[in-house]
Amino acid sequence: MMVSYNELQALSRKAFLGIGFSEAQADDAADMVCWMESHELNGLVELNQALQRILAEDNRDKSPELLYQDADLAIIDGHDMSVLQCSHLPLELAFAKARARGLGVLKIRHCRQRQLIMGYLARLASRGMNITALWRHAQTPLTEQVVGFRANSTVPSIRIYTLEEIPDENKLNTGITVIMANHVDLLPTMRSDYSYDLLARHEESELLEVEVRRRASGDGFDVPSSLWDQLKTLAQRTFVESFEGSQLGAGPLD
Amino acid sequence: MLDSATLNTLAIRPPGVVMDLERLGSLTASRLSFSRSLLRQMARQRWQIQRERFELDEDGFGQTIYRLQTPNGRYHVVIFSHPLSDDQRSDRVTAEAWDLTFGLVEGDVEEALMCSLAENLPLQEAGRQNPQLLVISRANKSTRNFDAFVTALSRGQQPSIDDLKSSGYLYRTTAVYGNGKFGIKDYSRLRDNPDFRQPFAAQMIAVYVLRQFSIDQLEHIAARRAPGTAVPLSNAIQRYVGIGNSTGLGMAPFLINHPLLINQWIYCREQALALAKANLPDESARDRLVALCERAQQYYLESQVEDKDQAERNSTLLEELAHVTAWLQQMPAESTLWYQLTEWGEAALSLETQELLNSLLLEIYPESVDPLEDEMSVEEVQDLIPDMPLIQLKQIIETQFDWALSQDLTDPDERYWFWYRSIEKEEPRLGVRGVDQGEEKEIALAIGPRVQQVYLLLESYLEANPTGVAVDFLLEHSRVVDVVRRIQSMSNTAYGEIRGNLWHRELRPMHLLRTKLSFLGAGRFDPRGDRWVRVTFFQGAPSIAELNAEPADLSGFDDWSFALAPHQT
Repeated sequence: MMVSYNELQALSRKAFLGIGFSEAQADDAADMVCWMESHELNGLVELNQALQRILAEDNRDKSPELLYQDADLAIIDGHDMSVLQCSHLPLELAFAKARARGLGVLKIRHCRQRQLIMGYLARLASRGMNITALWRHAQTPLTEQVVGFRANSTVPSIRIYTLEEIPDENKLNTGITVIMANHVDLLPTMRSDYSYDLLARHEESELLEVEVRRRASGDGFDVPSSLWDQLKTLAQRTFVESFEGSQLGAGPLD
Repeated sequence: MLDSATLNTLAIRPPGVVMDLERLGSLTASRLSFSRSLLRQMARQRWQIQRERFELDEDGFGQTIYRLQTPNGRYHVVIFSHPLSDDQRSDRVTAEAWDLTFGLVEGDVEEALMCSLAENLPLQEAGRQNPQLLVISRANKSTRNFDAFVTALSRGQQPSIDDLKSSGYLYRTTAVYGNGKFGIKDYSRLRDNPDFRQPFAAQMIAVYVLRQFSIDQLEHIAARRAPGTAVPLSNAIQRYVGIGNSTGLGMAPFLINHPLLINQWIYCREQALALAKANLPDESARDRLVALCERAQQYYLESQVEDKDQAERNSTLLEELAHVTAWLQQMPAESTLWYQLTEWGEAALSLETQELLNSLLLEIYPESVDPLEDEMSVEEVQDLIPDMPLIQLKQIIETQFDWALSQDLTDPDERYWFWYRSIEKEEPRLGVRGVDQGEEKEIALAIGPRVQQVYLLLESYLEANPTGVAVDFLLEHSRVVDVVRRIQSMSNTAYGEIRGNLWHRELRPMHLLRTKLSFLGAGRFDPRGDRWVRVTFFQGAPSIAELNAEPADLSGFDDWSFALAPHQT
């Protein structure tokens, strides 16, 4: 079914609140999903995966854990949570370090649905920060994704590639590394002595075109009914059943 | 927007005065209200509105389409009028059928779209609406007025306008939806469209056209009932017909959830007032203000309000307006006249009269005020400032949120109510804490208590971390990120936060509703209890025929506030 941007944002937000996200987490998570989908980067697919995982595990008492930090670097354990739950404050921490020191590095270990992090990176980039993020999708074949935002740009450059040579140390890596620089562009440029196979390449101009086209058309999103129904069911957890007293606010007695 | 040096030289009122909830609940519509600025824009840009389809049966049921041509595009208002039994006619949010449903469509209405609209518009929230729609709404008849008007016109007579003095309309809307709701077009689509740069412009246009339909339908039914005898509604009475609106608590969260926008609206109004007062008064400006006071006095004299409290407020206002007129006529038109007037008003007059006078002062200096209508929109982004020193955050709370810190939340009266969303159409409601069910699902509308909570956490955190920054604190207290973001975002604004405790036992939600309704341009404010109100839009406004005639005198076209009843023989 076709839904508007505002509908998707509002219902996702309520659904996240229904799951137990805080107000800010719910706001940010809904924005991240909508940003991804409005740039045709499979936000809804990622949302669906995130929901199934979040609902299967009870993460209510979990929060991202700060393992180490100094003036330039922070290491966080995401405790296997979705980046919707565990990334926004660590990213703000890296942002603060980069503003203070020129460069900030963040490692979030053990996190899921890492594609969605682009939604929050876009927001940080719009606040004047150059950003690169890198993570591995799979170990065999070894597949990496690198995303770069230019400061004040609303869209990134994205490269996804497989490496033919696999290093000896190739343990499962569900982490993500983010580098932020106050003054220097960090856009991905493929230069490697290693052989690689480029699987996907999104240029800034191409994503900008998507953004402009979508804004001009005002077209909504085609959301699978099952996902929409699930969001509605989760959102209903935040509503109060009707009772006699609640009718007082429903309007004048007829 | 004025620069800070200019602002400092103007007597702009401080937020402690302006943002008091009771004062906000005393605001009246002004020339900066969206219904007024919309009509100015339409006249200035020579918008044309034509009835394109009018397929109604003898009882007025069927389909109608009006075409709107602007310099930038073409739109259509599509209206479906349906039979509705009296027992189905309800203004409650739980209603599922109405006398008519309508929508504003961007572009042309092809037959396929018309079929889709016919299927879904009458269902409103329960339908899946077409993305070519910018606005959807529904309305119920004021059956007493409507039937009396039809009867009179079909007898070849003009109707008595006595009933329009209490409810100035033939139809009242019960919700007007925009911004992507139920599948319609997103607000972002309108943001770059010069036709809709004013907030709520699309909703206001739809309601303005509905006013014309209410008259067209009325005349059609009368003509079909008594061919050859029925007469059209006189132009004077047409002008006196507005469109009603029935509004409840559903409007309240908007005021809290859009602090940057509310800041912009109030900031513009306060700038306008300061600029107006900075004009040097002369005899003609003073005479104009006296004339406006007399018009307002007559308007309130003619208004019949059911609510006892509001009737008392109106009665006080009427009494005070007589004093104001006398005061103005006695005072010399010296340079400080407007300052003297408002200072005297603050000392001697009710809030209702003070704010009415402020609205009237805006009327006499359109050249100072009207440019601000272009400033009423704002990009609403609240970002965290993660590296803000906590000592600075604490200082912002102490200086800008002192009103929140002064709330004694240990007093049961200060935490009497909680807000929640009912499963009935997700409407916000009020419950009594400790009594009503749903407290665990409270929605965070009361900002004061949350700021106070952050302050207490902050004080404790700062003891151990005196050089900490915001993000350090939030990593330990992640559930207050939204409040910290809000405090930081609002730190450069003056007027975004309503200074009242939304939990307080004595809270009057009506004040919240009136704040927004005054900016929309509502008149005839008639509360029904404390959580529900009926108002009228566009009463006294020029008709579509007058708009289509491309008026040469734009200031005359714009002078329609405080509509007075036409004289009847």
